[in-house]
Amino acid sequence: MGEAAQIVIGGLLQGSVFAMVALGFSLVFRVTGAINLTQGAFCIIGALSMYSLQEVFGWPIALAAVGAAAAVAVTGLVIGAAVFVPALSRLPVSGMLIMTAGLLTLVEGLALLIWGSQPYALPPFSGEAPVELFGVRVTTQGFWIAAVAAAVMLGLWLLLTRTTMGKAMRACAENPTAARLMGIDVPRATLLSFALAALIGGLGGIVVGPITSLQFDTGRFFTIYGFVAVAIGGLGSFVGAVVGGLLLGVVEQIAAGYVSSLFANSLAFGLLLVVLLWRPSGLFSSGPQRRTDVRDEHRIYPPIVRLRGRGAAAAGVAAVIALAVLPMMVSSASIMSSLVITGILFIGLLGLDLLMGYTGQVSLGQAGFMAIGGYAAAILATNYDWSPLAAMGAGIVLSVACAIVLSLFTMRLRGHYLALATLAFGLLVDSFTVGLTNVTGGPSGLVGIPSFSIGSIAFDTSEKMYYFVLALMVVLVLLLLGGVRLGFGRALQAVRTDQTAAAALGINVARHKLIVLAISAALASISGSLYAFYFHFLSPEMVGTPRSLELIAMLVLGGEGTLVGPLFGAAILTLLPTVFQPLAAYKTFATGALLVLAVRYLPGGIFGATFDRLRRLFTARAAARIAPVAGQAS
Amino acid sequence: MNAMALEAIGLSKRFGGLLAVNNVSFAVPHGTLTALIVPNGAGKTTLFNLITNLYRPDAGDVRFYGESIASLSPGRIAGLGLVRTFQSARIFPGMTTLENALVGAHRHVHAGPLSQMAWLASARREESALVARAEALLELVGLAPFRSSPATELPMGAQKLLEVVRALMARPRLLLLDEPAAGLNDSETAELSALLRAVRANGITVVVVEHNMSLVMGVADEVVVLDAGAVLAHGVPAEIQRDLRVIEAYIGQNAETH
Repeated sequence: MGEAAQIVIGGLLQGSVFAMVALGFSLVFRVTGAINLTQGAFCIIGALSMYSLQEVFGWPIALAAVGAAAAVAVTGLVIGAAVFVPALSRLPVSGMLIMTAGLLTLVEGLALLIWGSQPYALPPFSGEAPVELFGVRVTTQGFWIAAVAAAVMLGLWLLLTRTTMGKAMRACAENPTAARLMGIDVPRATLLSFALAALIGGLGGIVVGPITSLQFDTGRFFTIYGFVAVAIGGLGSFVGAVVGGLLLGVVEQIAAGYVSSLFANSLAFGLLLVVLLWRPSGLFSSGPQRRTDVRDEHRIYPPIVRLRGRGAAAAGVAAVIALAVLPMMVSSASIMSSLVITGILFIGLLGLDLLMGYTGQVSLGQAGFMAIGGYAAAILATNYDWSPLAAMGAGIVLSVACAIVLSLFTMRLRGHYLALATLAFGLLVDSFTVGLTNVTGGPSGLVGIPSFSIGSIAFDTSEKMYYFVLALMVVLVLLLLGGVRLGFGRALQAVRTDQTAAAALGINVARHKLIVLAISAALASISGSLYAFYFHFLSPEMVGTPRSLELIAMLVLGGEGTLVGPLFGAAILTLLPTVFQPLAAYKTFATGALLVLAVRYLPGGIFGATFDRLRRLFTARAAARIAPVAGQAS
Repeated sequence: MNAMALEAIGLSKRFGGLLAVNNVSFAVPHGTLTALIVPNGAGKTTLFNLITNLYRPDAGDVRFYGESIASLSPGRIAGLGLVRTFQSARIFPGMTTLENALVGAHRHVHAGPLSQMAWLASARREESALVARAEALLELVGLAPFRSSPATELPMGAQKLLEVVRALMARPRLLLLDEPAAGLNDSETAELSALLRAVRANGITVVVVEHNMSLVMGVADEVVVLDAGAVLAHGVPAEIQRDLRVIEAYIGQNAETH
């Protein structure tokens, strides 16, 4: 009995912090309609600032807490004013989501530069000795967490219901245009809500710091759990955020206490998938019914780059020749290895581009399929002596099967909920790769994986692997180009921009989504198995959720909807850290910064922008002919 | 001529306290052009959404050539040959004018994804036949010069014509047009009338919801007037023009409460 109470109290404490992060999510969502994945990073900024002020500068605890909270609020104001608020009016909701994923990475990179990668622990506010309460031992920090969480909830409620500023924020949430007409400074209210959400997250980090181990990238954990909590409760609902957070914390602790931590993670993400399937808008949603005959969001779609005609064919041949002679000019083994990795990741990116770029289905869990394919192939080839090719094939079959099951959950979901479900899928796979130690080798990974081979031809050097991957890339690009240039590709693009109109023309939206998800899963699976065969080693972090986010960064940087563009994104993010080895510490920061800049300023990515420049150069005359039409519009 | 292409039988739809569509029944004979006249806010778009099953009716049935389609998905309904357009032209952004038209031909693309991926000659032949047809239709409505420009750059009127072309590419048996003349200038409206006559002449049944009286009275074979969610009058254009209740619903103050 005492143990059960202990576990529930632990869960409630953990859950209070999830609830605070979730409140931040809901606040920003209510005012802007966007999900801010940076939310969890503010916890870490708060906690680590607290550490520095307290331990390094020797400030007294109360002053340090105020200072740390101020630091987070300022960080929130700066990020909000410089990036988030200006981007709101220019980016679609899915673009905002990806941009904030970039911001999360950027803030983590910043934390890495300031605090390094070692773990920190804050001293408890009121000493180590726990207090006995009705026979249950509670750490004194627990009271601080509960008190701060309650104060935050009460304060937020008072602010939103009792003050003019709060009413203005709510008006922005209901109808920004009307709010603006009524004289509300919408950007200011938006910025305030963003900074306030950051502050709430920071306070959460400060109070939970003493009972958690903190690292520069622990923010991800808070973001993910906060996001899951808010989704369980219902996006935009404050009550839902609190209930979702507490529920998640308690369920996690109970499962971890009585079964295993593997089970706890799987249960949390499984719970999310079930909620999404059963009540896609969460337990406490009160949103109005969405009209399907009106386009759900007006957004600017970057023109899709079309590679056709003689020019494209010639450029393609030239590019393949250039890639074929490239290894002869590379002498460094590490660069050669980075080239191979670029190619391997590009294979996965082809599928992601088909899924996100062409069909508009955001996937934050693509590395999950890499993991399924990679581990299946590696285990079969290493422990059961399957030939690598057969093992890879089995991995593909398993990935596609998982994609079909996943599609049962995601088929009807759009936007944030789709992103969330794919994230949950990726995390679920993560928890298995980490937790099933006797199958996957756990966190320390799987060793002794053989080289890839087909029959008696073994691809056991970087050069051999490079040419194999290049050949595979060429074949896959040709296949997919064929697939997107005619009716199938048009149907995908129609689904991407307007599912209702697509269905009204007889396009089977569900079927197309499923086919594309299956293709992308198969390609990710191939990529994952080649990765394992090439390294002779596979560990969860090589194919985990951070990898999913990195893939998105590569895709967006290279150019969505261009098929070959992601190669540039993959090359930049893989080669730069290798080439500029001494600057490796900046990698996280640079990845985040590049992603933010690409989403914000390069809608077609590097490839799209270059292509567009070239096309404009050649078709300046054609554009002049279109101009009179625009004048006709009345 | 005597077969009914489309029948609405006692359709009703309620949103909260609002009875948007109240026991509406009408029938559209095969090969005719029927206009539905509905004042704004009187359930026009709801009725369309009920027919194409974007909304599920609370009561009633929809029959397409005698077959109930009330439980079919919008995609299946389109597959049977009942193709609709939307009030706000919903052309696909990010695609050219020609590509938008080609999307309409989706259900006539027989080459599967695999044969397209394999660059099979049969897939390419099929494509060039579709392109030829799309170009002919674009030519007909005067959009041919803009075949390769992004469709979102077209003016509103041209976008609405493109949407009709896209629907025609589906080779519909029945074309359901939601306010095709809204946002069109006079010359575009004239082009639309000509197009609609040509469509009917090709044996395609057309149902138009429209406010534009000159278009309705000029091309319609039959007119159905709805007000406050219920059928108010049904007849040939000349009769409807004389019908006092119609004039009342449109001009006089609406005394009806239901």
